[in-house]
Amino acid sequence: MNELLADALDVATSSGASYADVRAVETQSEALSVRGPQVEALDTSDSLGFGVRVLVDGAWGFAASARLDAEEAQRVAREAVAIAKASATAISKPIELVPEPVHVDEWHSPMAKDPFAVSLEDKIALFAGATEQMERVEGVRIGRGTLDLLRQKIHFVSSEGSKITQTILQTGAGIEAMAVSDDEVQIRSYPGSFRGHFASAGWELVEEMDLGANAQRVAEEAVALLSAPECPSTETTLVLDGHQVMLQVHESVGHPTELDRVLGMEAAFAGTSFVGIPDLGKLQYGSEIVNITSDGTISGGLGSFAYDDEGVEAQRVDLIRDGILVGMQSSRETAAAMGADRSNGTMRAEGWENFPLIRMANVSLLPGEGSLEDLLADVDDGIFMSTNKSWSIDDKRKNFQFGCEIAWEIKNGKLGRMLKDPRYTGITPVFWNSCDAIAGPEEWLVRGTPNCGKGQPGQTMRVGHGTSPARFRNVQTGTAQ
Amino acid sequence: MKLHGPLDPDDARKAAGPVLDLPGADDVEVVVAGSNTGLTRYANSEIIQNTLRNEVRVYVRVTTDKRVATSTTNQLDADHVRKAAETALLAARASRPDDEFPGVADPKEVGKPKPVYRWDEATANSGPDKRAEAVRTILGATKGCSAAGVYETSAHSFSVVNSRGVDCHDAYTRCVTTCLADSGDGTGWGESSSHAAAQVDPESIARTAQTKATAPHATGDVEPGSYQVVLEPAAMAMLVDFLSYMGFGAKSMIEGESFLSSKLDQAVAASMVTISDDVRNPLSVGLGFDLEGVPKQKVDVIESGIAKRPVTDLKTAAKLKTKSTGHASGSSEFGPYASNVVLAPGESSTEELIAGIESGFLVTRFHYVNVLDRPATLLTGMTRDGTFAVRNGELAGAVHNFRFAQSVLDCLAAIEAIGSEPRAFAPDYGSFGSTVAPAVRVSAFNFASTTSH
Repeated sequence: MNELLADALDVATSSGASYADVRAVETQSEALSVRGPQVEALDTSDSLGFGVRVLVDGAWGFAASARLDAEEAQRVAREAVAIAKASATAISKPIELVPEPVHVDEWHSPMAKDPFAVSLEDKIALFAGATEQMERVEGVRIGRGTLDLLRQKIHFVSSEGSKITQTILQTGAGIEAMAVSDDEVQIRSYPGSFRGHFASAGWELVEEMDLGANAQRVAEEAVALLSAPECPSTETTLVLDGHQVMLQVHESVGHPTELDRVLGMEAAFAGTSFVGIPDLGKLQYGSEIVNITSDGTISGGLGSFAYDDEGVEAQRVDLIRDGILVGMQSSRETAAAMGADRSNGTMRAEGWENFPLIRMANVSLLPGEGSLEDLLADVDDGIFMSTNKSWSIDDKRKNFQFGCEIAWEIKNGKLGRMLKDPRYTGITPVFWNSCDAIAGPEEWLVRGTPNCGKGQPGQTMRVGHGTSPARFRNVQTGTAQ
Repeated sequence: MKLHGPLDPDDARKAAGPVLDLPGADDVEVVVAGSNTGLTRYANSEIIQNTLRNEVRVYVRVTTDKRVATSTTNQLDADHVRKAAETALLAARASRPDDEFPGVADPKEVGKPKPVYRWDEATANSGPDKRAEAVRTILGATKGCSAAGVYETSAHSFSVVNSRGVDCHDAYTRCVTTCLADSGDGTGWGESSSHAAAQVDPESIARTAQTKATAPHATGDVEPGSYQVVLEPAAMAMLVDFLSYMGFGAKSMIEGESFLSSKLDQAVAASMVTISDDVRNPLSVGLGFDLEGVPKQKVDVIESGIAKRPVTDLKTAAKLKTKSTGHASGSSEFGPYASNVVLAPGESSTEELIAGIESGFLVTRFHYVNVLDRPATLLTGMTRDGTFAVRNGELAGAVHNFRFAQSVLDCLAAIEAIGSEPRAFAPDYGSFGSTVAPAVRVSAFNFASTTSH
């Protein structure tokens, strides 16, 4: 492999590239879906390929192939150079990269128990135990359990001399119950929606979830939602659980602080941002208790790594400090635009076949203090929402509407009636400035979003968010129709 | 007919053939997909990314004693394909019997598919210089605005072979170009997609985007509420796409999540509305068979306003005691999928659609649409890149964007007129399928809030 990467690098530079990097990715994955007693899907997959990224005449070129032999490596490198030369015919100024030290390193994400080594029979039995239990609850149409395993070995070399190999293993699992009436469907999930909870971890993550112990509750809540009253449309105090705060951070802080969006590079597809570089150090993004970091160095997140996909060391940087916007997620191409002399290491690509983009690492709301119960105790009349169900936000990341699986009234500091179809809307800075409490470290968990879409061709990225429950005042709930 | 593509049929047969008689397997099904995709991306009126990727995927599905598993590799050589087949067999043995599994397709029962072969050699051979030239044309036509978008050309081939004798192949090309123009005071959008690059006019879409971006603003405030609207093809295609995702597949109908679960044979749309899955529509881009190798039928899911039937694969067809319509998606978890949805055109010109509005809006396209309630087909999302007031039958200036909360079926029921000029759209993610839709005029569309731009 090393010889092939070096070969591609040599051809790229000798063909005119002022900078080149080559990234080869070996991927192994396994996906299991169990429905009741049945295996609904059992898919394993492997993938291997490489991509060559070059700068020629100040413009990018990128070519990628799944064929790993010397002849193909040279052809792809030449193709990348030819593409860059075509790009150079339509640029306004040459791209310059901020410096990064040369890194020669090998890194593995931590793991206690290899999930690929656990027998399929044991995996199926574990999930079927929970899914069969859910389907025994009257009113539940489907009990489903899912397991997703991913192991990636990423080889990176650059014309500046970096040689990095990283092996990242990630596990995700969860269960969900679907209850159906004549014209209504309600879904409850555990530990999170959209295939559960994900982390850079091994089989130990699944064992800690104790899926079987939660199956009955999840199923009963799904059925109860069918006859629960609708969440009202009102302006009220809103308490979100950690799972929904994850989504809130992802959509309304993570994406708007990606520097490529801020600079207009994603305008046509994913959109831009309501913040600009002049807002740095000035914009009151949230209340004074809101502190948000971008941190690839956290252990166990879906955005945890030692180096990003352009060989920049993972870092922890403040995005929002004491409520003020102070940072953005950057790359070697974009960092200088905000006056930085180094990228903060957030460039990542899906697989070998894609050009790296600025992607969230682990963008986290730092914990405050107290428990969820403490947050609820200070609410006379409000709503508590749990577990993300839907999301939509405008092309500048300002006007949003998010929905959860379930909610409860809060009356005099205690949870009351269950409410169905809870949704809330807001304007990003107004919402974050209404945050008056964030639960403490004991409630804080690094959660994972395995399906973040961005870029053209569309890339799906796995990103992490450390969050705990949080409270927001004067929030509009419900859906205007 | 000799089919070409990134992989020709003999490449696929050579890769799949050796594993079709895998010892221990009852049946083996192999899908071989190849693609070459060149995409030039521009923003701030310059090229920012420019990529070419050559990809192969081999999907091997193995059955033994009604136990089923799939394994995938992206290497075409005999060792990797055999390893994938053996891995799938081991997984299938570890799995549990699926009494509802109907077996793989038998060509004696499902018939021999005919390829659609929407292939254009010039598009397949388009290189980075052609793409850069197209971008320069767009930049030239949007001077005074900041322009962003893509110009993409791609070639795709698919083959399905199985141990029962299925042996089918198809290939297609595609060209997609988009343009967002930003005048600083407003944004506008243009896009075009076809299997042939010659039918995609970058200059035309750039001028459309610029005209919208530089349009004067409407006078007076606009308030959320229910309005008469014209939805241009891009906006309507997105609603139809989501409707298909939410409910056209038989699995979601059987499980109770689809609107079809409770509304089969009922009126769900205006009588002028017919929505089909039709890969052989002249504007569609796709395959003549599904990923089980079953010929793809045209299915009128909604015919003259009546909900008629879902699309099926072998498993859901067996459960519904019917024959597969040829819409296996390759995901047994998701089930069958209608990937070539077509909203049948009407007879109105765009001017006539607008002329029918006394006080309302025209929507160019939607952004970040998501499902709120699947059986109710309730969606939310934003308008973007060209939302205009319409007063007394004429465009009356650009307005800020709206958030909508709208049931697609209610929208279809409120259609007053359908445009005569359907347009084709490529999917945002992946390269599979297409959507064809004209503009429509709707008597009531619900805008829930506005935003500041």
